[in-house]
Amino acid sequence: MRANPEVLILEDDAETLGELQSHFKRRRFHPLGARSASRALSLLENNRYSSRPVLAIIDWDLGKAPDTSASSGDVLSRLARELRECPVIVYSQNIDAFNVRSQIQRSHPRALLHDKRDGDASLLERIDRMLDRSVGDLRIHDGTVVVHVPTLQQHHHREAIRLVVHHPDIVTFHSDTATKAVRRFGEWLLRRESTVRLVSHGNRKYRLAVTATEGAAPDVEA
Amino acid sequence: MGVTDAPWMLGVRAPDRSRAILVVTVDGELAVAVRDAVPRGMAVVRDARSNDAGEIAAACLPWPWMVIGSAVPVTPALALVLGHRPVLVSWLGAAPDGLPAHAQRFDRPAALLASIVTACAANVGGMRLAPGSGVELGDGTLLRSAALESLVAAYPRGFALPARTFRAASSALARHATGWVAQRDRDAGITLVSDAVGPRQ
Repeated sequence: MRANPEVLILEDDAETLGELQSHFKRRRFHPLGARSASRALSLLENNRYSSRPVLAIIDWDLGKAPDTSASSGDVLSRLARELRECPVIVYSQNIDAFNVRSQIQRSHPRALLHDKRDGDASLLERIDRMLDRSVGDLRIHDGTVVVHVPTLQQHHHREAIRLVVHHPDIVTFHSDTATKAVRRFGEWLLRRESTVRLVSHGNRKYRLAVTATEGAAPDVEA
Repeated sequence: MGVTDAPWMLGVRAPDRSRAILVVTVDGELAVAVRDAVPRGMAVVRDARSNDAGEIAAACLPWPWMVIGSAVPVTPALALVLGHRPVLVSWLGAAPDGLPAHAQRFDRPAALLASIVTACAANVGGMRLAPGSGVELGDGTLLRSAALESLVAAYPRGFALPARTFRAASSALARHATGWVAQRDRDAGITLVSDAVGPRQ
């Protein structure tokens, strides 16, 4: 069974939210859209045990939100604490202001920043670059499969997609099921003699590394 | 605006085992500059204020790889970490009380930022900082030792700390026949020394 990966979108403007959701649906992702921070927190809570979004798009300024009981900072802090492996893009009209950047980074130290003044098209281009990315001889296709380009073999597990999207960052996996899937992906890479190898950092942390030479180096705990 | 009403819940306070650069300032401006300077994936920049620096330092597991500060005092909680762990310390402007002897002081932000980039790219006999955490050997072997990360990044300087602080790093170096040992230098700091050099008198 193939489950479409979820993307969390927090955007207070209904029209922009609709455009973003349509974009992700076309790309076979399952968008979790919210116009308020409290709704986004509910979505995270409700999906806590069933799935974990592979990407979060957060509007920092929520002046048009129908409910202001929570802030975008609350959502970012929750993502940083509970979904650290989920890449986050935060966009704002004031992204150049160091105090805004500082507030965002204190809420989520790993958040990627985007200037809202560049327009929605610029944001979508950036998202597509992230989700269509290539790492070594691997490429994500349609947001749902990792393709080994030389053999055109496909790997469908969302944790594999997560690792490729995150490269070169370390990803922490939170269940035995996910960890097993990641190890299977590592073995899949080895069988295909991919230029990409799986590196274990212990404690369910993994990253992908691109090697010029064939074969995998051992992972050693010290 | 997006500021949270629950500062104790801020993501910057969440425990994390990734390599961390803790930046303690009054307003966060230097942390923003540091974040722009650090190569992607090498380290997480944690933007702290004086009043939460101790707690955020404690959330950097096992300890912050680097602490950078400017125009703030060193709180007792932070001084404890800096005094007992091999933490790289860089300070912009006048150095406050409580900094360890190995702290580096800078007058200009550009020089400080350049030193961070240099530390991230350190290469000691083929040993380099791996993205996120650990030290990668020339053959791709990953050594997970925070003390070794500090030694590699500080090379050729060292840390005036007890030798036992570096026991795990020394074991890893020996086990993988790296040709390097952690050894006390003439300035009484523990630093990396090539095996070929032999023990110092």
